[in-house]
Amino acid sequence: MAAVECEKLCPEWGCTDPSEYRGVWVVGELDEEAGTISEYSLQLLTPARMVADKRGTWVEGVLLGYDRGALERAAREMIYHGADRVRVLYSERLKPYNAEVYAKAIARTAERYKPEVVFFAATMRGRELAPYVANTLRTGITADCTQFDVDKDGNLLMIRPPFAAILLAYIKTPNRRPQMATARPNVFPTPPRDESRRGEVVWEDESLLEGIRPRARLLKVRRLERRETPIEKAEYVVAGGRGVGTPEGFRMLEELANLLGGVVAGSRKAVDLGLIPHEKQVGQTGKSVRAKLYIAVGISGAAQHVIGIRECRVVVAINKDPEAPIFRHADYGIVADWKDVVPLLIQELRKLAAERGRR
Amino acid sequence: MVRVVVGIKWVPNTQAVRFDPKTGTLIREGVPSIVNPHDLDAVELALKLRDRYGGEVIAISMAPPSAIKGLEHVLGMGVDRAILISDRVFAGADTLATSYVLANAIRRLGSFDLIIFGQETIDSSTAHIPAQVASWLDLPYVYYVEDVEELGGGRAVVRRRLEDRIEWYEIELPAVIATAMHSQQPRPVRLSYKLRAKTERRVEVWDNKVLGLDERCVGLRGSPTVVTKVTWMPEVPRKRQVFRGDPREAVKWLIEKLREEGVLPY
Repeated sequence: MAAVECEKLCPEWGCTDPSEYRGVWVVGELDEEAGTISEYSLQLLTPARMVADKRGTWVEGVLLGYDRGALERAAREMIYHGADRVRVLYSERLKPYNAEVYAKAIARTAERYKPEVVFFAATMRGRELAPYVANTLRTGITADCTQFDVDKDGNLLMIRPPFAAILLAYIKTPNRRPQMATARPNVFPTPPRDESRRGEVVWEDESLLEGIRPRARLLKVRRLERRETPIEKAEYVVAGGRGVGTPEGFRMLEELANLLGGVVAGSRKAVDLGLIPHEKQVGQTGKSVRAKLYIAVGISGAAQHVIGIRECRVVVAINKDPEAPIFRHADYGIVADWKDVVPLLIQELRKLAAERGRR
Repeated sequence: MVRVVVGIKWVPNTQAVRFDPKTGTLIREGVPSIVNPHDLDAVELALKLRDRYGGEVIAISMAPPSAIKGLEHVLGMGVDRAILISDRVFAGADTLATSYVLANAIRRLGSFDLIIFGQETIDSSTAHIPAQVASWLDLPYVYYVEDVEELGGGRAVVRRRLEDRIEWYEIELPAVIATAMHSQQPRPVRLSYKLRAKTERRVEVWDNKVLGLDERCVGLRGSPTVVTKVTWMPEVPRKRQVFRGDPREAVKWLIEKLREEGVLPY
């Protein structure tokens, strides 16, 4: 990459030498209660490894937390999945999780070690941390990327669909480091786990937290009961759209999903109609799913929806409109009113389930 | 008394953008712009706080002059003051440059208790701006806020909703909050308010003569990220087999196919 003429850049940014920046970071997300690392953080090791190999550099995980055992296990998992080194910031002062404190600590760590790339998973936590970290470092950030590459000058290409989900924008940060991005969960595959992989775990000192004081204090937490698998983790997803239209219709989809051991999801229309909550929305402004089988019922298949089902293995569409775009994005389509098809499908699957029960 | 700044974005109504499969182009003509729907949650929360404690709600937006309509819309909802930050040098900004301008405009407003943003926009959905503005102004921030339950004495208690839990935070003021999507029921526009906003030209316009920002820090020049190209997204190859006819036959056909694929749990 060419030398940067600092006087042309915003003075607020400060002047840095991009050639001093090395290594690709993945900021890992811990589930403090389960004591495990998020699957979405591990997925990021796939593009991180690819970018690091193209750049001839290393992959580092970064972990923050207050549970030594969980941090150790998470660091090892990151190594088994492709990290060369994991930097762990362990402190009682990181309890409980606090966005401002964590973001400032990550920014400090980045100032100290100067990574050329920093990836976050675009989870709720990643989405609140990453922009604060980027801004603190006065660098650019690209949200919700679905692909990465490296250009001929060695810049990271951050690829994401802009608002029209049929397009892909290629974005880079040529004059600033680190180059930062969040990546959409469930778009990248988790790299294979290899317990024979070796890597270094570096326990960072608490001086990185000096002077960082939480100004938001967690008063209490109420856990929401979670009876079912979240859609982004489900193997079977039955999704309804405007065509399903009513709560009764969605109850029938629920029955179908239960038979498959899966969950019900929906399009943005279904959310707007109040038929399902936003966390069950599939698509650009919702989630990506990685189902083995995705059944779209009464969903027309707007680009903004189908972008969320790209990683599904088999897609089935049921829609009475033969022109519905969803059929272009499905492996198997049935042109019919879903009310005629879904009850029969439930009936047949029930028979199959019962047969298996007898065997 | 509270003083609340609320940030809004004037966005193309993405729901109205259509794709012409024959020509392979986006149909943008006649696509109207609207106030980003998620920002109306922020406006509503700000107005609720003002109604409860008294004070002032100031809406700001960085956009081309046509966004005056959007600010008139929120004046119509009952916002007290609206400022459009508009200058050609601000055009082409990424989120860092946008947040820089917004943060500097907010500094000019003097003291305030809260800055409220919507969770994300429907056109780019980055959710960057709240955290970036908090960073420029070095303020505490909380995302995914459903409600502000208490406010006073330099602190507020906010409730936020995550996927598996609800959390209550006590935050020092001033602070930045981003509202959870669909967390409020935005009040309707009162035509008399909106009309007055229009006839009295209530929307103030601030250009860079007012803000006096270094042109290297704003707009395209002040944006570290650069869009290098835009391409079509490749479609995922699918089998695209379609069955038309008797539903009973259709279901049989489908189950056979799903068995061949080995995706049925039985």
